[in-house]
Amino acid sequence: MSTKHSKAAAEFLENKKQAAWHDETLWMVREKRDQLSKKVPEWEELRNMACATKLYSNSHLDELLVEFERNARANGAHVYWAKDADEYCNIVYNILNQHGVKHFIKSKSMLAEECELNPFLQNKGIEVVESDLGERILQLMHLKPSHIVLPAIHIKREQVGELFEKEMGTEKGNYDPTYLTHAARKNLRQRFIHAQAAMTGTNFAVASTGEVVVCTNEGNADMGTSQPKLQIAAFGIEKIVPDRESLGVFIRMLARSATGQPVTTYTSHYRKPREGGELHIIIVDNGRSNILANPKHIKALNCIRCGACMNTCPVYRRSGGYSYTYFIPGPIGINLGMLKAPLHYHDNVSACSLCYSCSLVCPVKVDLAEQIYLWRQDLDKLGKANCMKKVMSGGMKFMMNRPQVFNMALSWAPQVNKMPRFLIYNGLNGWGKGREMPNFADESFNEMWKKGKVK
Amino acid sequence: MSSREDILQNIRRATYMKYEKPDLKPLEDVALSYPDRLEQFFLVMKQVGGEAVLLAKREDVNDFISRNYPEAMRVASNLEFVTCATCNPDRVEDPSELDGTDLAVIAGKIGVAENGAVWIEQDVKQRAIYFIAEKLIILLDRNHIVNNMHEAYKLIDTGKYGFGTFISGPSKTADIEQALVMGAHGSRSVVVALI
Repeated sequence: MSTKHSKAAAEFLENKKQAAWHDETLWMVREKRDQLSKKVPEWEELRNMACATKLYSNSHLDELLVEFERNARANGAHVYWAKDADEYCNIVYNILNQHGVKHFIKSKSMLAEECELNPFLQNKGIEVVESDLGERILQLMHLKPSHIVLPAIHIKREQVGELFEKEMGTEKGNYDPTYLTHAARKNLRQRFIHAQAAMTGTNFAVASTGEVVVCTNEGNADMGTSQPKLQIAAFGIEKIVPDRESLGVFIRMLARSATGQPVTTYTSHYRKPREGGELHIIIVDNGRSNILANPKHIKALNCIRCGACMNTCPVYRRSGGYSYTYFIPGPIGINLGMLKAPLHYHDNVSACSLCYSCSLVCPVKVDLAEQIYLWRQDLDKLGKANCMKKVMSGGMKFMMNRPQVFNMALSWAPQVNKMPRFLIYNGLNGWGKGREMPNFADESFNEMWKKGKVK
Repeated sequence: MSSREDILQNIRRATYMKYEKPDLKPLEDVALSYPDRLEQFFLVMKQVGGEAVLLAKREDVNDFISRNYPEAMRVASNLEFVTCATCNPDRVEDPSELDGTDLAVIAGKIGVAENGAVWIEQDVKQRAIYFIAEKLIILLDRNHIVNNMHEAYKLIDTGKYGFGTFISGPSKTADIEQALVMGAHGSRSVVVALI
């Protein structure tokens, strides 16, 4: 019984060259993260404080969100609350509709992906343009991101070149990343200027000031929000931080963890609407408050979406983002998917070797691997345990409880070494798939012990 | 019941363990600091793809510009002493008019030695100028460089316009095959001129 993840991963691995490139490139990002974090002697203390701050803010969400709302309103912003994806999409649409917006520019927002905002708006006749280069490439290809920070990590330069040739009239056969990036810069510059409204996600919402903070390297969020006068920002409730002092802790870790940079190029603080403009801020729950009641998984709400857990994950690097069934892949996606709908996303929990590397690199100490382990314990209760593994562990239990049977099985085991290959490597032996079985020892430890061979 | 009340009630119902707000002081006390902040700032600016230069005492900014940016035709600044400016972003009605600016000269408030970020508190009507210009010169007092972000966040403000941004080097992307390219949407080059 293969999971959807393992089937999709097998497909991903068919293109060996691309799969190797994906693995090595993400590992390079992980190594950059290591270099940067090691230059900060207080790194572990930063992680502790980041985790403690998130545990504080997520256990005081009612107070902090209301404080944020009060301050944001005092700054002149409009504040909305959305219970779910549907309400969020409708709020955005209503704002745009009331202002007669037909051309809309967006910077990257995983919340918008989660709530499927783009198709919602497009169905209502609003043109949505993604402005992050990776997101724009995917939008033009009608694809979804395969990584939360490096959305187009699975796309090759030749594909981008061919796409831009068609969409932006670039030279045929020119696949140079610099050339292609600058072509997109020129093309999107016009989109920025002619957009009637701009929207961003939010990396952090500061309760004490009522400001939203957005981090980008490209400057696309700022290009958007400095052209049209109508600005919309949205955030999930766990994005709140109490004050700027706490914000400093997270800003020091975000880019170092994400891409191995000391900080993103732009860290923008939006506090008031532009002169003569409007700032609309949407606070979104969409299932997050339910996670608060789940003590075993509450730390999933610490996540600042840096993607470090994906870059380090041996399974993610070798299977690609599309192998996961939840829209956020990798260790954090496995957990968020299970928190969203376990019966729907349980296929992903097997996409983990329990190496715990994700838990160790996470800047906010989300206990990612520990949580995945817990989900696996729940699979049987959900009726989603792997049948073959159940049969095998039932058999093991029978044998382990009966020393005579166990010893007899051990003495017969070396016979397996002499059996024809088809009897060992077949559909019944899950361990023989994609790997060679070790040989059974001719003599068991027990036997050796009894003969005094063990010193 | 409104969604606001619904969400807040849901949060209150689900929260049964309250955690204390941590004291950040011990962390801030041991946070990265440098014997020579200026030297570190020069180093890190290179790492982030920008450049820091020290203006000689009494060196005129205009001379610096004409010497280093001879090709800049459209120079935008609202700083009085930048007399070579051809456009004042305070007097521009529509920010799209700033498209095509070759060079913008702006004022930074605080520089951060650990990451090359410079805090820009909006002090011009069209903040687009910080992002839309092809090249950027940020003027910064050499005595206003702090060690790290903890120190910086104690000093910054968003001012009357209610906007501020840390800028660390030029706009960049690696979205095509992780190949680093400068000049994604914002400035292709950033020079922090220390005065």
